[in-house]
Formats: sequence, C-alpha cells, structure tokens
Amino acid sequence: MNLVELGLYFALLSLVSVGGLPSVMPELQRYVVDVKGWLTPSDFIQAFAVGQAAPGPNVLIASLIGWKVAGLPGAFVALGAICFPAAVIAWWVAELWERFKDSPWRKAIQRAIAPIVVGMILSSGVVLATPGSPDWRLWLIAGLAAAGMLATKLNPLWFLAAGGGLGALLL
Amino acid sequence: MEDHNKNDTRAGMSGIVPVTPPETLRDLFMGFFWIGVRSFGGVMPWAYRTMVEERRWLTHADFTETIGLCQFLPGPNIGNASIVLGKRWFGLSGSVVAFLGLMALPFIWVLALFIVYSDLSSNATLKAVVTGVGAAGAGLFIGTAIKLGRALAKKPAALVLIAACFALVAVARVSLLMVVPIALGVAVLAARRGWL
Repeated sequence: MNLVELGLYFALLSLVSVGGLPSVMPELQRYVVDVKGWLTPSDFIQAFAVGQAAPGPNVLIASLIGWKVAGLPGAFVALGAICFPAAVIAWWVAELWERFKDSPWRKAIQRAIAPIVVGMILSSGVVLATPGSPDWRLWLIAGLAAAGMLATKLNPLWFLAAGGGLGALLL
Repeated sequence: MEDHNKNDTRAGMSGIVPVTPPETLRDLFMGFFWIGVRSFGGVMPWAYRTMVEERRWLTHADFTETIGLCQFLPGPNIGNASIVLGKRWFGLSGSVVAFLGLMALPFIWVLALFIVYSDLSSNATLKAVVTGVGAAGAGLFIGTAIKLGRALAKKPAALVLIAACFALVAVARVSLLMVVPIALGVAVLAARRGWL
C-alpha cells in the first residue's frame, strides 16, 4: 500500500519539479517525514547525503527514499515515478519549444520560471539544513559550504568532504 | 549547470570539427553510461565533456541550448536531456536507451552504498560524518540559489517571488503541489507585463 501511495505522490511531484530534484526536496521531506512518518528527519538527511556524495544524477536520492519505504521495489517505483511524467513532458515539449522560439509566451515562461527555481532551491537548502529542530552546527556547515562554493571553483565534492570532517568534529 | 559555460574557449574548436551524432543505440547507451558513472560532484560538467569534447555529438551552442530547455522543464535536468537527445537521434528507443544508460549503474552504486551505510550507521562517528555531508550538500543548494539569484537581483518582482516561494515552502511548509502552479501563474502574468 505504501508503495502505491509513494508512486502516485512522486508521479504528481514529477509534474511540478521545475529546476529538478533540488526544487522538490522540501516537499519530499514534508511528505515522507512530516506527513507519512516513513523516515525520521535524521534518516532523510542521511539519505540525501549518500545520494549527493555518490556519482550519478542527484535524482537517485528519490530511489534511496523509496528503498527506505519499501525496499528494492520502492527504489524502482520512486525513481520511475519521479522521472516518468516529466520525461513524457520533455518528449512532447522539446519540439514545440523549438517551434515557438520567437513567441513572446515562450520568453515570458522562461523569465517566469527562473525566480521560482531560485526560491525552491533556496528553500531546499534551508529545509535540508534543518532536519527536526534548528541546530546551529548544521547551519554553520551549510553556511561554510555555500560561502566556499561561491568564493571558489572547486569540485563540490571537496565541500561535501569538508562537511563530513566538520560533522565528525561538531556533531 | 554553470560549469559548461566556462568552456567557451573550446567552443570555436567544436565549431570547426564536424559533429557526428551517435551512429548506433549502443554508442548512445555507452555515451550516457560514461556520463552517469563518472559524474562525481555534479553531472553537467561530465555531460559536456562526454558529448561535446570527447564524442562530439553536439556543438557547444547546441549543448547549451538543450540543457537550457531541460532546466525549464520539470524533472531531473540530465534525465530530460537524455530523453530529448535520445529522441532527436533515434526516436523513442533512443530516449529509453539514453535514460537507462545514464541511470543503470549509478542506481546500483547508490543503493549499494546506502545499504552498506545503513548497516554501519549505528556507529555514531560515521553518522556524524554523513550528517555533516548532508548539511554541506544543503549549503551547496543555498550557494546555487544565491548564484542563480544574482542574475535576477535587479528585478524587484523577481525578489518578491523568490521571497514568497521561500516563505510558503520553507517557513509555512505549504505543499509544492499548491505553490508551484500558483507561483507559475503569477510569474507568467508578471513576465507578460515586463516585470520579470
């Protein structure tokens, strides 16, 4: 039963996932942690961490959440559900988008989506750094990683590694 | 999503050398397979390297255009790129093959890593390390938002929209299924009036 609910909800989320997986992380957390209680806040940030550190598209984090909820079938269903509706849209829209290159509506949509994506990704960072009750140590690590990323051109993996080191010291 | 821009200097080169799209589904699969398995620390730089520099399937401009489109569509950017490019070259079978090539091995790896980790996570130090990695990952999202937001900072309406999305999603914890359609409607109207 959980599997069906998970699949349907992830498929709905797929349709609103402008900006990709980072945008939907707050909603994933709200749903699987706050509403359903399938994962604890601590489980959630750890699944996110493993998904970020491993190579591959970050949408695979969804499959880790599915795994926690319903094992291997959950992993497949979660990944398929979050990708498939969006993939169908991509399949149909790619050519339309090209055809309406000079349409004022296309330009309006492009300009409209940009601030929404920024708002969602910002929310995502703050929500992920606040699993459960606010913890200054997590905010410090997040703040340092954000500052480091903005100030340098290093591979993001270095900041994840540094975050792990700080975690061992502080947490 | 930003990193391929710094490769502008190489764009001229890929303009001279003719691009050759993948000839077989096997080529297509292997190309996306290499993108997936090598993409430590973000997929886009590896997608650029594989498709533009090494295999020369696409020009720099074509890559930028395609990824730009995929960033506006819902769904994972690189996943959408596999669908769009697979379709362009081989139709439906191309989309399926490119998507599977991209996801197959990383899917196994990330699950295996997570299973191993789950067995060891009673170790308090390891748990602290992984939680720290998660917090740093959250920080990278904040950094990305600031980076993308800078381009919009001169438009008051964009800042209002960003703040409203943040207040609804991060503070009030309203469902995205409500916030995104409403925000999109408001934003398209604002854009049509020239505010964005």
